[in-house]
Amino acid sequence: MIELLRRVAAEDPARAAIITHDDTVTYGSLVESAERVATALRRDGIARFAVADHEAATVVASLAGAAAAGAEACQYPPAEPEEIGELVTRFNHDRLVTTRDDLGELGAQVVRPDDWTNAAPPTAPAEQPTPTPRPHLVLTTGTTGAPRGVRHDWDRLLRSTARIKPGPGERWLLAYGLHQFAGLQILLHVFAAGATLVAPAPRRPLEGLLAMRELGVTHASATPTYWRFLLAELRSDGGPVPQLQQVTLGGEAIPGPLLGQLESTFPEAGIAQVYAASEFGSSGSMRDGRAGLAIEVLERGADADVAMKIVDGELWIRSRTGMLGYYGEPPVDADGWRATGDMVEIDGDRILFRGRSSEIINVGGVKVHPLPIEERVSAVAGVDMARVYGRPNPMTGAIVALEVVAAPGVDRDAVDAAIRAACADLPAAARPRNIRFVDSVTTAGSKIVRRTTGEQ
Amino acid sequence: MATSQLKAEQAVRSFVARVKPETRELALDTPLYADGVGLDSLETAELSAVLEDELGTDPFTSDAMPQTLGDILTFYGTVAAEA
Repeated sequence: MIELLRRVAAEDPARAAIITHDDTVTYGSLVESAERVATALRRDGIARFAVADHEAATVVASLAGAAAAGAEACQYPPAEPEEIGELVTRFNHDRLVTTRDDLGELGAQVVRPDDWTNAAPPTAPAEQPTPTPRPHLVLTTGTTGAPRGVRHDWDRLLRSTARIKPGPGERWLLAYGLHQFAGLQILLHVFAAGATLVAPAPRRPLEGLLAMRELGVTHASATPTYWRFLLAELRSDGGPVPQLQQVTLGGEAIPGPLLGQLESTFPEAGIAQVYAASEFGSSGSMRDGRAGLAIEVLERGADADVAMKIVDGELWIRSRTGMLGYYGEPPVDADGWRATGDMVEIDGDRILFRGRSSEIINVGGVKVHPLPIEERVSAVAGVDMARVYGRPNPMTGAIVALEVVAAPGVDRDAVDAAIRAACADLPAAARPRNIRFVDSVTTAGSKIVRRTTGEQ
Repeated sequence: MATSQLKAEQAVRSFVARVKPETRELALDTPLYADGVGLDSLETAELSAVLEDELGTDPFTSDAMPQTLGDILTFYGTVAAEA
């Protein structure tokens, strides 16, 4: 990432790299901070460290400085000290970059960001050879168990940025946490384009909408769940609609009606989908505004960095820009195929996502995909958000259960009846058997959690 | 009749009225399945979830599967007596 920052800073050091409601950080000052971090890392012989701070400029300087010095940085998620302590132990980190005062007793030496950015003078990049390797560690969300460390290499990650067009006037919203692989992808895209990152805090749809309106966001990439919440916020507050030029979705399957809602809400915006994951990296984007992937992705051939195939209804990927392997485990073969866990169906010229294999609900031996049911329920008038999941049941093992966030002021009994009517022609096992109205649905990392409740 | 039995009876009658509106009579000894009310396995599963939500316990997890509304009320009467 450091070379992306250096390139823009050499052209236009005063260009804004990161904007928040309180501050603007230029490319020039960001590169200087990153070079100071790199100098401190070399001086102190630090090969690995974790970051438990979430101010975007601090995180970027730490990650870019690590890339310049060949040290392995790892951004932690926002968490209480106990969970941070578990991560420190699990991933054997002996240095922790943070401004927090409650992380001093976790077994890692606390480093204040200023300790590195103030203490060491920047070293001219030309005097330092590019280190090899240049590792980076991304943690999985851990929603299915303990988080795993996904080992990446900056040179591999940067291969996917070669096709990004310059966009110096673009202002990209940061809607992901920087501990997420998707957040890292946004950083790479923004800095490869020489664009500006708009980083509200916290990174919820409400603050995202505010940042779109007040900080001139032109481009935004987020999960479908984030966009659904943001549209609900827009409807409820009645304020001006942001003039977006680009709407990008990724991270989870996209309910069919959502694309149409986004097109009508942001008529000037291009709609794109990205398909990426911590393990296999980015597979590129689809920009035709239609749900799913074009079937041509299955014909990319042996020379492609990323190739795909379908095995028993599940998408498999071979990626040469993906991870090196999991922390503490042997390296993976870059030419090996991996199951993605995404269940798909071919519909005409598209590959449509039907949900995660871990989300399939087994109703008396019948496998039910939650996403098509959510799509149907979400299209019912009066429904702002829906979550379909498996509820354990003594008769059938599980039944299809539904949580609904109703639009303000609607008659819930009428919405309940409308949902049941909308689902009446589904196969019997797929009909929601339990409907609850809730204030919000369960999410993790801005994605809806759909696993059977007993598995959470 | 215990409060839980009253709540259970109300929940079952409301459920049957929704999923089997053609049911003419639901007596305490009317069979819930087959030639009685005619609940299938998924509707029975749904009823068990309704009762669990309403009363916190579910007669379909007990050893003897209830065959009638009367069996369900007996289950909740026993639960109330043991509480």
